[in-house]
Amino acid sequence: MANPVETIGSASARIARLAAIRVVLCAIAPALTAIALGLLLEPIGEVTWEQYGYSLAPERADRLSLALVGAGVVVLLIGLVMALRAYRRAHDFVAAAAELDERLECNQEIMTLATLVDPSSPDAGRARRTPLFPVLWRRAIALFGGMDIRQEFKLEVGEPLKRSSILVGVVALAMVLATLGLVRAPTPENREAAKLRAIAEEIAKTGGSDDDKALADTIREAADALENPKLPAEEKMKRLEDAMRQANRAAEKRNNSESGKNQAAGKSSAQGGKGSGKSSGQGNSSGTGSGQGKSESGSGQAMSGNNAGSGKGGGGNNSGKNPNGNSSAKNSQNNQGKPDEQNIKLQDELAKAEAQVETANPQNPSPDSKPGDDKSQGGGANKPGDKSDENSGSRLDPNKAGNIPKAGANGDRNMPSAGGNPQNNRDMGSNLGDTHLGEMPTSTNAQRFLKPGEKGTKVDIKDARYVMFRLPGAPSSGSGGKTVLDTDRPTATTAYVNAPLAPTSDDAPPDERQLVPPRYRDMIH
Amino acid sequence: MGAAPQQISPDQRVADFRKIFSRAESEVARVIVGHREVVRKLLTALFCGGHILIEGVPGLGKTLMVKAASETLGLSFKRIQFTPDLMPSDIIGTQVLTEAEGHREFQFKEGPIFAHMVLGDEINRATPKTQSAVLEAMEEHQVTVFGTTYVLEPPYIVLATQNPIELEGTYPLPEAQMDRFIFKVVMGSPKPDELREILSRTTGVAQNKIQPLFEPARAPEAIENLKALVREVMVAEPLERYIISVIGGCTPGGPGAIPEVSQYLRFGPSPRGAQALILCSKVNALLAGRVSVGYEDIDDAIVPCLRHRLLLNFQAEAESVSAESILEQVIKRLKKPRT
Repeated sequence: MANPVETIGSASARIARLAAIRVVLCAIAPALTAIALGLLLEPIGEVTWEQYGYSLAPERADRLSLALVGAGVVVLLIGLVMALRAYRRAHDFVAAAAELDERLECNQEIMTLATLVDPSSPDAGRARRTPLFPVLWRRAIALFGGMDIRQEFKLEVGEPLKRSSILVGVVALAMVLATLGLVRAPTPENREAAKLRAIAEEIAKTGGSDDDKALADTIREAADALENPKLPAEEKMKRLEDAMRQANRAAEKRNNSESGKNQAAGKSSAQGGKGSGKSSGQGNSSGTGSGQGKSESGSGQAMSGNNAGSGKGGGGNNSGKNPNGNSSAKNSQNNQGKPDEQNIKLQDELAKAEAQVETANPQNPSPDSKPGDDKSQGGGANKPGDKSDENSGSRLDPNKAGNIPKAGANGDRNMPSAGGNPQNNRDMGSNLGDTHLGEMPTSTNAQRFLKPGEKGTKVDIKDARYVMFRLPGAPSSGSGGKTVLDTDRPTATTAYVNAPLAPTSDDAPPDERQLVPPRYRDMIH
Repeated sequence: MGAAPQQISPDQRVADFRKIFSRAESEVARVIVGHREVVRKLLTALFCGGHILIEGVPGLGKTLMVKAASETLGLSFKRIQFTPDLMPSDIIGTQVLTEAEGHREFQFKEGPIFAHMVLGDEINRATPKTQSAVLEAMEEHQVTVFGTTYVLEPPYIVLATQNPIELEGTYPLPEAQMDRFIFKVVMGSPKPDELREILSRTTGVAQNKIQPLFEPARAPEAIENLKALVREVMVAEPLERYIISVIGGCTPGGPGAIPEVSQYLRFGPSPRGAQALILCSKVNALLAGRVSVGYEDIDDAIVPCLRHRLLLNFQAEAESVSAESILEQVIKRLKKPRT
């Protein structure tokens, strides 16, 4: 026979435990979500970068990640505190009796009994008892007969989780909004670093040797360094050059191993190289154009004669521009296969990255790029109007960024002579890689139209795309209504604006040659 | 039945109560067709120790009902027809000069109020002075005549009737006096089949005889025992708080008063209303076979116990808002405490 007081007491404890568990369940889902999102923010950022080309601002993303983890921990702590409170609140003898009343549908009989036998106030309960109390006691015993408190009060997980899903949604939504707020277009450094990492991955996958793995690691380090805003430019350059050197070594090794097969092609390549500038290729060198030769100094500065560098070796690679040397270079490339393509691509990207570093730090140019410095191998991409290529001296690798001859007064000196035809300086589709490195040299600041008053007052606006001019004010009339000629009328101050990069006058189609109507011609000064 | 409570087990006492109540209802129903709710309230008021105000047009069987109830329970019954010229002494009784053994003396002649069950017919037709004489007896269960107090023998119950029509020349009961009735029940017109039954019972040869439940000599004691049982029914503290919240909710400006209460009421129920609620709930619980009150018992008692204690304002009368509708709103909106 169950004692009603014990039954109500155990029900009270059970209800209290369940209340605490429910509160914890309500809090745990959003807390764990926040913590998980906080920890996964970095991978999420990587996914956005890989999938959509947008990255998360790293510093703010770190802060958001920290905030999410912190919020999750706080929610968890609050949940625990609330669970404790819920336990204390639910641990009520009379309330448990009321709950039992509802389940047994016995019209508050259990609750009445509980108020009369409440262990927390035994005297008050005893005073309220009447001669009918035994009847109530017996009825309670009958009602509790065969009742299993654990079965009666089961733990239901679904409802609290359903309730907490709202909070989870709020957390996720906040996270999405915050992430959207942090998303930014990647910087050029980010792009380069990503490309380098992709190449590193490829190298690590395709090449199974330890050297390949070491190279991949070095590339990754260089990519990290490139993205690190706290790292000085010199350090970045150093890392990139290390990677470049390692890439070169790897390429040389591969070439040596395949030299037997490629000997003929090497000779052919050398011959092709011979024709280019002053470089003289050696017979057993690889088709990548590594050679020796003399370098001429640009702008009259003394340059060492026997230097390895892209400036000289470029003859081999740039032989693609030369119809005579083109075939040899192609042969060499085809023989080397995928690893060489990878290597070229890598060197290309490394060069671009170096150029990017130099571009980003114009005030602190790398010591390597000093005029006459023989160590200058990478070199940044030349900026428009930058004549640093004149001073860079001879180079080992013709594929490096910044080795593109620039248009300018002395630009043609560094260009390999290829028959003396200026058209040959254009990339004719060589598969040696993007020799222009994506940094097409811009022309010098050539004005195709004279500024007003530069050469006399007359301006030849022939072939202008459009002309802007200010119309003079209407002639003012006198007080008597008689029209008089306004000799002091204002003259136009802005005569015309040229559209930049308009086609040359000779090649421009007739519809581009928009003539100014004759009636306006005299208005333009 | 009717033995001392000490000798009978509590379970037996509860069973006896239900049995007596049920039999009384059945006996009254032998002569009164329909009006079961009114009969139930009458008996409830009797066991609660309260009085009842019955509102209904003449000819519905109010007097017969009270008479049948008193006969069933073996209690004495008297009827007072209230008129404007009725004096308090006509009800309470007066000193009459009598001559006995050669000397004269004043002797108290009891009025019709001295009975177990008193029917005050059309109580609103008497003057306030006469009304108040009855109401004093109702509350105090005693009357005082020329300085001498006479106790009214328990059980004592007054059943007053009010005629809702022909209000000219009437003296409606003041609110303070209305509050002394535990219930106000409204007797409606009988339904067609009930009316047919009434006709067949009252116009035929056959007469229904009532079987008294108690002998007249023992009836008062038995009824008092049953009244004591009602008071032994237990009420949990949360339910008491619920009753208090009901009273507060019906009082304009009271704690938890709903907007309709503030809008349509001038005054709410007094503490007597709460007492009536508890006693009526206890009887309801006993009738359900329980020895403790539940929320259901209280809710059933709210309308009959409180509707005549709410004083509607002009706006409520203009908008035909009834006290019953306000009470139903209160029941709906109040929360039932669990602890």
